[in-house]
Amino acid sequence: MALMDHDMMERRAADITKNLYLAFVIEDEQYAVEVSSIKEIIGVVPITIVPQTERYIKGIINLRGDIIPVIDMRTRFMKPLVEYDDQTCIVVVLYQEYILGLIVDQIIGVYTLEEDAISPPPNAKLSYSNQFVKNIGRKEDGILLLMDLEKVLFT
Amino acid sequence: MADFDRESMLEMFSFEMNQLVDQLEQTIIESESGFSEDIINEVFRIMHTIKGSAAMMLFDTIATATHYAEDLFFYLREEKPTSVDYSELTDHVLACMDFVKEELIKIEEGVPVDGNPQPIVDVITKFLADLKDEGSGVGASMAAKEEQLILSQGSQALQVDDEDRTTPFGSYRFKAKIRFDEEAQMENVRAFTVYNNLKPFTLGIVCDPEDLTSDDAITAIRKSGFVITFTSDLEYSRIFDILNRSIYIRDIFLEEYTKESAEMDRLNSFDIMLKFDEGSQMENVRSYSVIHNLKPHADYILYHPSNLLEEASIDIIQSEGLHIDLVTARDYDEVYDLLSQTIYLKELLVKEKYADMDKDVIMQEEVRPIEVEQTVVASSPVAIADAPPAPAAEKADAPAASAEAAGTMKRTTSQAVISVSVSKLDQLLKLMGELVIVEAMVTQNPELEGLTLENFHREVRQLKKIIKDVQETVMTMRLVSLSGTFLKMNRIVRDMCKALNKEAVLEIIGENTEVDKNIIEHIGDPIMHIVRNSLDHGIEKPEVRAAAGKSERGRIVLEARNAGSEVWIIIEDDGAGLNKERIMEKARANGLLRKPEDEYTDREIFQFIFMPGFSTNEVVTSYSGRGVGMDVVNKNLEFVGGTVMVDSVPGVGSIFTMKIPLTLAIIEGMIINVSGAKYTVPIVSIRDSFRPNPEHLFMDPNGNEMITVRGDHYNVVRLHEFFALEGAARETHEGIMMIIENGEDAVCLFVDDLIGEQQVVVKSIPKYIKKIRGISGCTLLGNGEISLIVDVAGFFDR
Repeated sequence: MALMDHDMMERRAADITKNLYLAFVIEDEQYAVEVSSIKEIIGVVPITIVPQTERYIKGIINLRGDIIPVIDMRTRFMKPLVEYDDQTCIVVVLYQEYILGLIVDQIIGVYTLEEDAISPPPNAKLSYSNQFVKNIGRKEDGILLLMDLEKVLFT
Repeated sequence: MADFDRESMLEMFSFEMNQLVDQLEQTIIESESGFSEDIINEVFRIMHTIKGSAAMMLFDTIATATHYAEDLFFYLREEKPTSVDYSELTDHVLACMDFVKEELIKIEEGVPVDGNPQPIVDVITKFLADLKDEGSGVGASMAAKEEQLILSQGSQALQVDDEDRTTPFGSYRFKAKIRFDEEAQMENVRAFTVYNNLKPFTLGIVCDPEDLTSDDAITAIRKSGFVITFTSDLEYSRIFDILNRSIYIRDIFLEEYTKESAEMDRLNSFDIMLKFDEGSQMENVRSYSVIHNLKPHADYILYHPSNLLEEASIDIIQSEGLHIDLVTARDYDEVYDLLSQTIYLKELLVKEKYADMDKDVIMQEEVRPIEVEQTVVASSPVAIADAPPAPAAEKADAPAASAEAAGTMKRTTSQAVISVSVSKLDQLLKLMGELVIVEAMVTQNPELEGLTLENFHREVRQLKKIIKDVQETVMTMRLVSLSGTFLKMNRIVRDMCKALNKEAVLEIIGENTEVDKNIIEHIGDPIMHIVRNSLDHGIEKPEVRAAAGKSERGRIVLEARNAGSEVWIIIEDDGAGLNKERIMEKARANGLLRKPEDEYTDREIFQFIFMPGFSTNEVVTSYSGRGVGMDVVNKNLEFVGGTVMVDSVPGVGSIFTMKIPLTLAIIEGMIINVSGAKYTVPIVSIRDSFRPNPEHLFMDPNGNEMITVRGDHYNVVRLHEFFALEGAARETHEGIMMIIENGEDAVCLFVDDLIGEQQVVVKSIPKYIKKIRGISGCTLLGNGEISLIVDVAGFFDR
């Protein structure tokens, strides 16, 4: 019984978050990630620097007793660095078995993108950060670059 | 009765069993030369507990094997025979334990528990028979036969032809009330066992509380005992024996309702049968209300079918009717009136038991339904028997029973330890961390600034103290001593010595070293394989040892010690040592060499023995030579991030050193400050710390910085540079030098400040971040800040 309920809840949760994307800003561009892979969003908390790691790994944070690494998305996309302010957020994502925080400039909101509003990106990768874009989504007032977490985290 | 969820019970069972088996093995091996009375009692007690628990969980193979071993020790205890071959006895007991262990493994893996205990039973029975022949010659294996007698009688009773029965009940009527030991735990499970044991011998059995699966049942049993009402064709004493077989029983109060006892108490006995109208539906619920209405008047009530809450009983009631066996103070008319009020009643038959035939009244008429307010209780457990008698009355009624129960059911183990799942401990640890952080947030809240809060601060101190105590307790809860793992090796050494005709003693040092639970699980096998290897390949035969001028008896030392952020497990033997040439030869043959042969150091050569399939032993024995064992060492150690190192001198012996990091353990740490970041250095690796005099520093030709401390020279590691940290570095005379050591190596670590000592929980760095040299993990400080833990070993293996 309990098992079935759990499955059902999972399925329901998947249904609810289907087609939902969380949009955020990194420098001038609006990026988005599937809501289903987002655990939570927190403000900037003290980050402990870990020496001798990739430059974009900003360090580790204490998320209620769990230690999770955080990636500075500006560094990752080779954008100029700015001071963190009260708009800066850490988007905590769950990708495969990894839990990580992504530091972004600002959260815009959650959008529903139906399948026909999503199209593949152009083949030519003109800028460095373009290689991290999986698809392009269209919303009423512009476009969202759908981020490829696999590429962001593992290339 | 609903099927029991056995999972959690199994877990507890195998935990208990493994502990008992270990304890027994230990006891036995320590006393191989001769069994004192205490030891015999101890073994008997453990065997008895294993048998009882196994029988409770219906693992008959284990129960059977240990039953005979128990018999054997019963004889030893009672008869105290003088000419016992203790060595042989030890073999038999260990064989029996091996069997139990095998079965336990099957249980844990969830495969059918299908071992054959017969060989063990045969051997033990023969051993016992021989003992008895040598002794007084009293008839052999009486106890064993007796047990079988009981069992066979039980099954015979079941085959009694019940064609001539007028009721579905047995000849004797009983009500048993059982109380369990206070430390028994899981009373409902124990009760279920009693129920299950008894059931095959009964005809009609009802228990109270009825639903044993609920937690309420535990409370109810603790409060008023476990009451079973049943009939059986077995006599009082047999039934008592059967009940008494279960473990953890404090007392049994078994009452039989006979004609005589009924007359004495002025009670009347009735056989009742009733049927409901066709189409009345839910006959089980109707029956339930009938029983429920009768209960307040009944001294004893048993009904068939007994599982009224299940729909299956509907069919039975429809075809056979509801049978009730009732003992009550009410007379015939009163009972009849009570029952005839039942609605939808089609047929009612009330027969007074023990009464003369002419007084029998058989009613078979259309009973007019009477509208009576019915209490239909659907879900709450049925309380079948009336309120249990007061304990005083109980004692007076059955003094013999109580005395007997107390005599046989003496329990000596008290439950000082409980098993808790590791995930719960993890959770607790995490919550603890949060509590500490929140505490700091509250007590150092900026809004409090500038206020005079004398009382507040006093309470805060108290709160902090308590939180600190709780934190320390939580941290130590995860630690497990290595003694269990170490002591197991005694058995291996003993067995192998016997099999290989060698002599060796195992010396154990530092077995109380505590290691995190997760690590213990992974180092048991490596230790075992190395010990085996030492005995098989290392220790020579006594005559060879004597010829070489060594004592005939070999010596293996198993030692554990804390060394910095590692636990070292050292296994040393005074055997022949490793044969470097043979290993090299074999490595060459297997194509394992990766560089010119003369460049291999001794340690590198010895590492080959940990390669899969590498054995220099020509003969495969039952212990080693297949080349699997040592391979496991490496694999398991890699899993916990440990290493193994071998030193060996031909003719003198070998030393295996396993270094295991304390990945999940708790360490005493010194919190230090480097360029504003807080790092933690394990206190055990700090030898000294001081403010350096710049004059004592010098450079070697390669540009390595060195320092002279009291005539010794050390390499200097400036943590700021080592980690390439941003921010300004301290001047030498403003900082602190710490001499840190890793085994025999030492290095001088230059840091900015020492902040303080603290017990810290080692957490691993998230695996997304690759391994960093010089960092072994991280920890949360009291204020929620993360501090990286310095890996002392990282400074040495450049």
